[in-house]
Amino acid sequence: MPVRVVESSTPPQVSGTDPGNRSQLPPSSLLGAGQAFSGTQNVSNQQKEEAWRVNVQIQGIDLEHGYLCGTMEALNVPMADTPVITFWEGEIVDGNNYTFYTGKWEATREDDMRHWSKFPSFSPLQGQVESDGGRQLDRNNYPYIFMRWKEQYFVNVGTDCGLTIAGFYYVCFSCSDGSISGFYYDPNSSPFQKLELKTVNEGRSGFSFSSYELQ
Amino acid sequence: MPTTTTSAASSSSSTASASGNNSNRQADVFSRLASSDPEVKLKALREVKNQIIGNRTKKLSFLKLGAVPAIASALADADDSEKCNNILVQSAAALGSFACGFEAGVQAVLDAGVFPRLLRLLTNPDEKVVDAGARSLRMIFQSNQAPKYDFLQEKNMEFLFSLLNSENENVSGLGASIIAHACGTSVEQRVLCEAGVLEKLVILLDGSLSQREACLESLATVLKNNPEAVSDFVGLESGRYLNSVTELTKDRYPRTRLLSCLCLVVIYNTSPSYFVNMGTKSGLITTLLELLNDPGQSGDDAALGLSCLIAGKEDLQKLAYEANAIKNIVDILKTDSELQTKRLQGLFLSLAELCSKLEDCRCSFVSLQVLDLLINALRHKDADVKAAACICLRNASRSVKNLSAGRFNSDHVMLPLVQLLHDPSSSVQVAVLGALSNIVLDFSSPKSSFIEFGGIKQLIELSKSMDPNARCSALRALRNLMFLADNKRKELYISDVNAQGFACLISDPEPPVQEQALALLRNLVDGCISSIEFVFDEDGLILDTVGRQLRKGPQAHMAIQGMYVLTNVASGTELHKEAVMQQLFPQATGSENFMLKFLQSDESQLRSATVWTIINLISPSSPGAYDRHVKLRSAGIIPQLKNMVNDACLDVKIRIKTVLGQSMSFGDNY
Repeated sequence: MPVRVVESSTPPQVSGTDPGNRSQLPPSSLLGAGQAFSGTQNVSNQQKEEAWRVNVQIQGIDLEHGYLCGTMEALNVPMADTPVITFWEGEIVDGNNYTFYTGKWEATREDDMRHWSKFPSFSPLQGQVESDGGRQLDRNNYPYIFMRWKEQYFVNVGTDCGLTIAGFYYVCFSCSDGSISGFYYDPNSSPFQKLELKTVNEGRSGFSFSSYELQ
Repeated sequence: MPTTTTSAASSSSSTASASGNNSNRQADVFSRLASSDPEVKLKALREVKNQIIGNRTKKLSFLKLGAVPAIASALADADDSEKCNNILVQSAAALGSFACGFEAGVQAVLDAGVFPRLLRLLTNPDEKVVDAGARSLRMIFQSNQAPKYDFLQEKNMEFLFSLLNSENENVSGLGASIIAHACGTSVEQRVLCEAGVLEKLVILLDGSLSQREACLESLATVLKNNPEAVSDFVGLESGRYLNSVTELTKDRYPRTRLLSCLCLVVIYNTSPSYFVNMGTKSGLITTLLELLNDPGQSGDDAALGLSCLIAGKEDLQKLAYEANAIKNIVDILKTDSELQTKRLQGLFLSLAELCSKLEDCRCSFVSLQVLDLLINALRHKDADVKAAACICLRNASRSVKNLSAGRFNSDHVMLPLVQLLHDPSSSVQVAVLGALSNIVLDFSSPKSSFIEFGGIKQLIELSKSMDPNARCSALRALRNLMFLADNKRKELYISDVNAQGFACLISDPEPPVQEQALALLRNLVDGCISSIEFVFDEDGLILDTVGRQLRKGPQAHMAIQGMYVLTNVASGTELHKEAVMQQLFPQATGSENFMLKFLQSDESQLRSATVWTIINLISPSSPGAYDRHVKLRSAGIIPQLKNMVNDACLDVKIRIKTVLGQSMSFGDNY
């Protein structure tokens, strides 16, 4: 979600990758290409309360490399005439390709822990993550997937639209019901802007799944 | 016997006189070739030979005039006496020159029936005659048209070894050439190895340049895809010869460097465990990249060699990428517009392999403007080049990021691809379908150049092709085109395809075609709820066909798509859910319900898809959910799910928990 910029800077850190075991997370039906989610992002600041409606669509997912991507559409953005769509890329915290430590985007380890600990589903993991970075976690049985989503560019508006996509989201996905919560992090923006999304069924009585196959 | 020809008419008198002189001379040469005077004949032979050496145009010109039969006669007429030796040498040399890198020449030499005569020259007492015969035969054996050599016949093997044992480098080189170009099967490889050919060949590694090169070529042929042969070779003198081949990759002659690299590529592809040293792999890649710049045949072969080496190997692709392979190849493509087709094919295939797995490579295509080069190549006259460019595009577009950015959705890219759907070559058709399958997945815009160019109609036609690969590829492209498609786009397909035609696709004899047809159907019935109606056309023919196919006990991949069709239909209205129930529980049943079989499949995706169908059928918000639940319970499906609460797959476990939760809401116990 594009937000307004506030001046600040922190030195970059080496991103944490753990080359060890190449086992990957098991797939989740609701976190797949074509899945759509809808909800809100709380963009309130000290001056006023504000929330934007948000639609997210997953366009691709590559569990082997801990990668996913999609679009995010923000509606009722005050300074925009139309909904603003961005393309984002995600890092899946699988303990192999990516860890809970961001190591870039001006996020320190303290920032990381501050954000992850805001997710109730992170609490059972916190101790282990703080002690060994989460290497020993049994991800095959934990029904939550943690990610970072970083918007890469605006799809339908120019960069002079007065909005910025400098920050990124800490995201928690619930495998059970496909709900997503997230916190936007940008040292130059209001802290802990919360993203809350649920799966969308397009007027159906149940779940429907589309698919593609890349050659 | 060739006779004199008249010169073509010409507007200028000087040109007429020049061409007249030319053809007179040629006609004169033919009469002199047939002369009974050996000196005259010899001079004519030398004249022809000197004119055609390295001159393809002259070769063609003399060929058309019938020079080869004339020279073959001169060779045949010469006896083995000393005074005829010069004639034997010159005629063999001329024939060899015709055959050198010129397929029409090889054909003409073989058609002239002179092959056995050339073989007999190898036993001539005069070394020069033997040399000329061997060189000439080597040229023939460079060609695919060379006569088959039956290695399984003992006398042929004896003859071969007599050649390899010869002190004459051209003769031993001939032996190696025969192996290089005629050994084709693992049986032949084994027979050769058992006869000790590896020990004979490696001696040639220490020989002359020509012997070394012949040895390297034949080693690659004997070792290719044969782990036992590779093991034998590596075992020779504790790896000394493997080291020698590796050292030869630094030789001063480009052709030697190339042939040793190709030999190592064969060994690596057959038995990679002999290459634990990273430095060897890097060195091999670096040498092949340097050889890409060689203007001759070595450069052509290096390009194909590089693509073979890195094919399917992410670690080597990464090494090549880090060694700047993409930029090197792009620079060659950009600066040289006259590249041979074989080199072009090799370069595009190398680019294709580079971006087969690495996202960084695919992204660098955009920054290096590779797309324009590929689009130009799509218009090349050679089918192999077009196919290679399509394969490259296919691999480059294997990037959701680039697809999302709309990098390929332009008329400039799409038009030549759509045009290639009509290409007469089936390899081009399959390759372009592969590229289009990916490129039609444009997330950036609802507008599709592909559709605007009439692509859907062409895919519909191709989905009825006699070739199952084409049918499968066309359906895959349609499936991807219909991913998250709106009703307008779906209608463009559905309006041209009736239920009967679609049902045939689902029941295609080839399982991969069935799978893609079902995957396409899955996408067609996703999205807006009204799109489900398609499966009810013609009295529900399509839905009935899906049910019938699922009851046949299909392969997992097909069953997964079929179950997702049912899942998607079951996410609709009451009518839709009931229709799915009719497919799960048809009137006439005798066998075990297929859902039970699928729930016990080893494929977690199939188990998951099956559970999703159940979730949708008993979704609490729908009125008939309770009755459907009762039926599913009676059929043993709900009890089966209770046995699966600890399924090994987390996703399946979670979905089962959802079903059992719904079940509990109907009064059922866990």
